[in-house]
Amino acid sequence: MNENSDFTLVGASRNSVFQDTTAKPHKTVFHMHWLSFILFGVIVFCCLCAPVLANHDPTHFYLQHLNEAPNAEFYFGTDSMGRDLYSILWYGGRVSLAIGFLSMGIASFLGIAYGCLSGTASSWLDNIMMRAAELFSSIPSILLLLLFLAFIPRPGVLSISCVIGMTTWMNLARIVRSEVRQIRCSDYVWASKMMGGGFWHVMYHHLLPNFLSPILFMMIASIGTAMLTESTLSFLGIGLPVEIVSWGSMLSLANRALLTNAWWVVVIPGLFLVVTLVCITNIGHAFRHHVIRNSSNL
Amino acid sequence: MKKVWLTKAFTFVVSMLILSFVTFYVARLAPGDPLQAFYGDRVEQMSSAEHEAAVRRLGLDAPIYVQYQRWIGNLLQGDCGISYKYKEPANQVIGAFLGNTLLLGGIAYALVFILALLLALCCAYYEGSWIDFLFCKLGTVAYYLPPFWLGLILILIFNVNLHWLPGSGAYDPGMASDIVNRLKHMVLPLVVMIVSHVWYYAYMIRNKLLDEVRQEYVLLAKAKGLGRWEILLRHCLRNVAPTIVSIMAVSVNHILGGTYVVEVVFAYPGLGNLSIESAKYHDYNLLMLVVLLTGAFVILSGIAAQTVNEIIDPRMKVERGVQG
Repeated sequence: MNENSDFTLVGASRNSVFQDTTAKPHKTVFHMHWLSFILFGVIVFCCLCAPVLANHDPTHFYLQHLNEAPNAEFYFGTDSMGRDLYSILWYGGRVSLAIGFLSMGIASFLGIAYGCLSGTASSWLDNIMMRAAELFSSIPSILLLLLFLAFIPRPGVLSISCVIGMTTWMNLARIVRSEVRQIRCSDYVWASKMMGGGFWHVMYHHLLPNFLSPILFMMIASIGTAMLTESTLSFLGIGLPVEIVSWGSMLSLANRALLTNAWWVVVIPGLFLVVTLVCITNIGHAFRHHVIRNSSNL
Repeated sequence: MKKVWLTKAFTFVVSMLILSFVTFYVARLAPGDPLQAFYGDRVEQMSSAEHEAAVRRLGLDAPIYVQYQRWIGNLLQGDCGISYKYKEPANQVIGAFLGNTLLLGGIAYALVFILALLLALCCAYYEGSWIDFLFCKLGTVAYYLPPFWLGLILILIFNVNLHWLPGSGAYDPGMASDIVNRLKHMVLPLVVMIVSHVWYYAYMIRNKLLDEVRQEYVLLAKAKGLGRWEILLRHCLRNVAPTIVSIMAVSVNHILGGTYVVEVVFAYPGLGNLSIESAKYHDYNLLMLVVLLTGAFVILSGIAAQTVNEIIDPRMKVERGVQG
């Protein structure tokens, strides 16, 4: 958009998501985003290059070197099963990240579909659908996860992602619904309908760009939440089994590590997890429109 | 007035019915043979007559909707079925654990909200200064620390290495009634609960307060000569009270869920440990009861918050009347 043109574009433009035209309140916040982008990029890159980086076989149990502290051969030490933590860390990161992105996809799909349906439905159906979602989100997610996981005899990456996605879509649905309800009666949607725009045309060209920007932050944040949930479930012993290495299932050995005071088994995978989570959150914030407040009266 | 209460009661009953229906069907359709869970390996050695008797004894012979009807009927009479693992009525098993969870969760809940309020007020008072900035950054990091990992780190530091505090259980054997002993066991779980929850709520309250201090009445109060703290505490805080109550209702669910995870890390004998265990052993009678109890508790707290809000701010009743 040219600033000097006589016409200004009203309504939503799909690109607006990526051009944060509002001023940044803090310069430092801006730098944090780039730092997070870079750090997250490095972690993802390293996980993708796992076979190059790993200096030991991730599937091998080095039974001569159980519970060894970090040293020159095993950079991050070995766990109580004799696995080289440094090598499996990168492979585990692949699984953790994959679960994060997959769950995000599933939760976004469910949330957007549900929200759109509810938002465009008649008011009584909308009422019922929102009540149902409310009821669904009133149970602590850990109990919902327990119930759903009961269906899966041997959880794998895909099934865990499905379960996590199925239990985290409600907030997204609520926001999508309220956005859709606000926009669907606006003049430009009417105009588009008058000109013969079908349901999908209106959805894709007018509604989606409008609610994409409020939910983008939540979508990105849900990657982190899903990774956190996976690690919690694996730690509790109801998520991924120990054979499928993820940062969470690496931490499931932590209880045993506490007995031998093997701090590296607990600290190192957890640190990677936390750093990744904070990076993802910061990246999410970069896509969020900052609320500019006028000066305080206080 | 009467009508309002009837509507609330109706909502509660319908919600509970749906919740119980879903829970029951999921639990029954899930894999894992309840018979196996109850009798263990003996199931394979049973004769067919014994097998049938066992099936009938656990009520597994009827179609699923009949089972559901029976289960609901029994529930209303206070019979929640037998825990397959403990071989005792499920409500008796839960009784002991429920108290422990309510104790830990209740204290955590109170502390989280007191601290959140203090933090929020502090941030709102020093808005834009380094104190506000520091709290915001630290809070975000604390919020993203996995609670179970934080628990492990704390155990590693304060229990394994420094031997200052106990790292597991609710009390030392034989000291169930010793309050000091119990409190000592609760310190680390409480720290985890507070660190992982406080910022989420503090941030919401802070943002609400920041919107509030931009209102006109603040200017008036200032012109009258009230101090900054006085305005914040006496006027702004009152106006955000309904929001805080609503947040407190929503948080019951999160804090309870958080307690469940923390309990497992610290091997604290509460509902969280119980539900994970019962899920592992396919002990569905117990799991269903935990889910129902939790759900009822959360829904009730939602209704309670709505009522409190209507007392604080009578406008809400009118607004709802117009919309609904």
